[in-house]
Amino acid sequence: MTATDAPVSETAPATPGPARRTLAVFTRNKLALTGALVLLGLLTFCFLGPLIHPTDQIHTDLSQAGLAPGGNHPLGTTDLGYDLLGRLMYGGRTSLEVGLAAGLLATLLGTVYGAVAGYLGGWADAAMMRITDAALAIPALFLLVVVAAIVTPSKPVLILIIASVAWLSPARLIRGEALALRSRDYLHAMRLMGGGGSRAVFRHILPNAIGTVIVNATFQIADAILYVAYLSFLGLSIPPPAADWGSMLSAGITYTQVGHWWLIFPPGIAIVLVVAAFNFIGDGLRDAFDVRLEKS
Amino acid sequence: MGLRSTRIRGPVERILVAALLGIVVLAGCGPRGNVVTDVGPTGGTRIEGGTATMALPPASTPNWIFPIGAPGYLASHNSAIQNLLFLPLFQPVQKGAALTMDSPRGLAEQPHYSDGNDTVSITLKKGYEWSDGTPVTTRDVKFWFDLIKHNKKEWAGYSPKLMPDDVKAFEIVDDRTFRLRLDRPYNPTWFTANELQDFVALPAHAWNPDHQDPKHAFARLMRHAKKLSTFDSDPLWKTVNGPWRIEKWSTSGQVSLVPNKKYRGPDKPHLDRVILKPFTTADAEFNVLRAGGVDYGYIPPSVMAQSAKFKEMGYRIDPWEGWAITYIVLNFHHPTAGPLLHQAYLRQALQHLIDQPTISKVIWHGSAAPTLGPVPAGLLDGNPYPYDPKKAKALLAAHGWADHSGQLRCVRPGNSTRQCGAGIKNGQELRLSLLSQSGSTETSNTMQAIKSEFGKAGITLDIRQQPLNTVLGTTVPCKKSEPICSEWQLGFFGTQGSWYFPPDPSGEKIFATNAPSNMGNWSEPRTDRLIRKTEYSDAPTAMRDYGREVARQLPVLWTPNPAYQVSAIRNDLRGIDQNPTLSLAPQYWYFVKKTKNGARSGEGKGGAGK
Repeated sequence: MTATDAPVSETAPATPGPARRTLAVFTRNKLALTGALVLLGLLTFCFLGPLIHPTDQIHTDLSQAGLAPGGNHPLGTTDLGYDLLGRLMYGGRTSLEVGLAAGLLATLLGTVYGAVAGYLGGWADAAMMRITDAALAIPALFLLVVVAAIVTPSKPVLILIIASVAWLSPARLIRGEALALRSRDYLHAMRLMGGGGSRAVFRHILPNAIGTVIVNATFQIADAILYVAYLSFLGLSIPPPAADWGSMLSAGITYTQVGHWWLIFPPGIAIVLVVAAFNFIGDGLRDAFDVRLEKS
Repeated sequence: MGLRSTRIRGPVERILVAALLGIVVLAGCGPRGNVVTDVGPTGGTRIEGGTATMALPPASTPNWIFPIGAPGYLASHNSAIQNLLFLPLFQPVQKGAALTMDSPRGLAEQPHYSDGNDTVSITLKKGYEWSDGTPVTTRDVKFWFDLIKHNKKEWAGYSPKLMPDDVKAFEIVDDRTFRLRLDRPYNPTWFTANELQDFVALPAHAWNPDHQDPKHAFARLMRHAKKLSTFDSDPLWKTVNGPWRIEKWSTSGQVSLVPNKKYRGPDKPHLDRVILKPFTTADAEFNVLRAGGVDYGYIPPSVMAQSAKFKEMGYRIDPWEGWAITYIVLNFHHPTAGPLLHQAYLRQALQHLIDQPTISKVIWHGSAAPTLGPVPAGLLDGNPYPYDPKKAKALLAAHGWADHSGQLRCVRPGNSTRQCGAGIKNGQELRLSLLSQSGSTETSNTMQAIKSEFGKAGITLDIRQQPLNTVLGTTVPCKKSEPICSEWQLGFFGTQGSWYFPPDPSGEKIFATNAPSNMGNWSEPRTDRLIRKTEYSDAPTAMRDYGREVARQLPVLWTPNPAYQVSAIRNDLRGIDQNPTLSLAPQYWYFVKKTKNGARSGEGKGGAGK
């Protein structure tokens, strides 16, 4: 800081920028902060954990099948001899990658669709929203199961089919925002100066709805992770030796009768933790973006 | 996200859903389900009537009612149901360790062979009628014979030179007796067990009242047979001569049978209704069983050690052992996999990579046993290709396959003994795909274990799982030019065993050239010759020689042969005969109620089962 700046700061303290204000409100929310830490922990566990606890998650080892926790296998082994701790890391990558990608893709698609519908208004808006309503009338799980049964699931396929049913909700949400923003003076001014529709949507409407988009994205990701778990639990997961937490849970169910608790508790807890973390983060961000909650 | 009916609205709901998933899982850890009956496994007083619900195998639904089987519709439960509606002339029955063809459930007396075993006379049992009151006669058997004779290519039971080609003349002697003139003398034991067991009477008066020629009549009947949604309403299928008739047959696979009141046989049903219930997975069935939703179901092999819990619930646990072998079918006509699979060294290497004893013990929890060849193990010398990964790798390396980053590639293409073999290109990867039956954890795990062992040797195996009917409909014998031949390379449909032997376990229907169940299109002259010998000679060496040759040739990859199912049967449901040929006889089933003190037990009256 220079000497000439000093009097200014003394007379008129600098107002923190929007990003800093958002961060400040977010960090004041203890649940949101916990969620962020849990998520960070899970990401570290899944993506860096194998460096500390390397295991073979490709080849089965029947001589090690069904071992209880202990020794070389802190969480025991699966019915095919995979180390469960390692598999939890390996499966978590799939759950997180598919959930993140599907949630973000759904948000992107829904946001653009909703913004265009809201900006255009009139018959175009009506037609686009009726399409959304019609799609919303079909149970998502039914659609997901049908599609997943037709095509062999892989990571890209799962991302696409989950995103293909998940974009509807953000589309409706952002369309509402766009309807409110399209009548603002600065948009009228832009149009008078010859600005086109794409400029209006991408330079004015979307940046002004970014708070809603980000908050919605966190919920989309949480739901997408749950949908991956649903599909895998129903046997529509990526074929072995790939794994995700839902398929681990599904495989473990068979062995509940014989007391192999370690096959179901770890993936079940991991799913609960990651979904809760994203929801806490989403709640925190919603509060942070909501100006009405800001302390003046 | 998502759609209205399943939309998860707020953060609290989202967390609750996730937690609920956990609770559902934990619920599976509960001690036990409902007690279904307080009657023990023995004793009790027989009662007439009642409804018994039996669970069908996982991911397999009945889809064929016409007693002339069509390719792709050969699941064992189809023929089990057909035999309850349309009586075969001869049915196998277990007597001690042996299977004989003199079951009282057959429509005919024992056949009489004459003229040096090239003539066989058959007499129908007295008094049998169709459900519309018309007597069952030899003309009904002739109707069946004419249908298969003139449409043999459409019949899934057809093997060239065998039935109906081996019958020179079908002579009707009278309403109850007919005579077959054969093209040469046959081994009577084999002919009765493997040829005459196909014979069935069909209601000619009802199914062909206009006396259409067999070609047109067959085409018309097949059109009806392909309409699954009308199996319970089509008048055709209402004329039956067996102890049961169809009440309902849903497209989802649930079949409800009720007694045929006009049945004239000695084994009239005791129950009012039998329901055969489909399940998508073994786990789904297991959950319903625990809730008391089926009277006759099965438990996964993984919980066999916990069978005491089910006994406490009022079930008796009884493994149903089938007389079967289990294998992975190899499609020798596949455009890219065919040249690979034709190499004997490659098949031997693949077999050396399947650890059958360990898979049987660990994955099937002892409820499966290694398959060693095409006949019962007692006729074989042992396993010519035991689990030996080193030997497998050596075989592949010796024939020009080299490891490139964990994937084998052919580096010595060509036909000589040290090269990859005909049709295999330089640099070609050793990669195969397997279409496997879904619905069973044990099958999925077996395939994963095999994939893993193949992977360690540098062979990539891609696995795709589909319901049983899809697998059976895809893995059919085919010509190289047919598109369906390109749809699969390896196939597995053996969760309950791949092939159930006829009483005489010869191989004319599975390993003979162009045999109807030779799904992989195996063709080898020496195998054909040895199979012929089993048909003509009753010498024990004929069957042994055939078995050892096929075990050595490896037209398929042998895998552990599981029990058909580990049955859990309500203690108060009795009379169940778990026949190793998988036939069903619910006409013998009955319920018992608890006997009051001093009352005489009624169990055992009336004779059940065998």
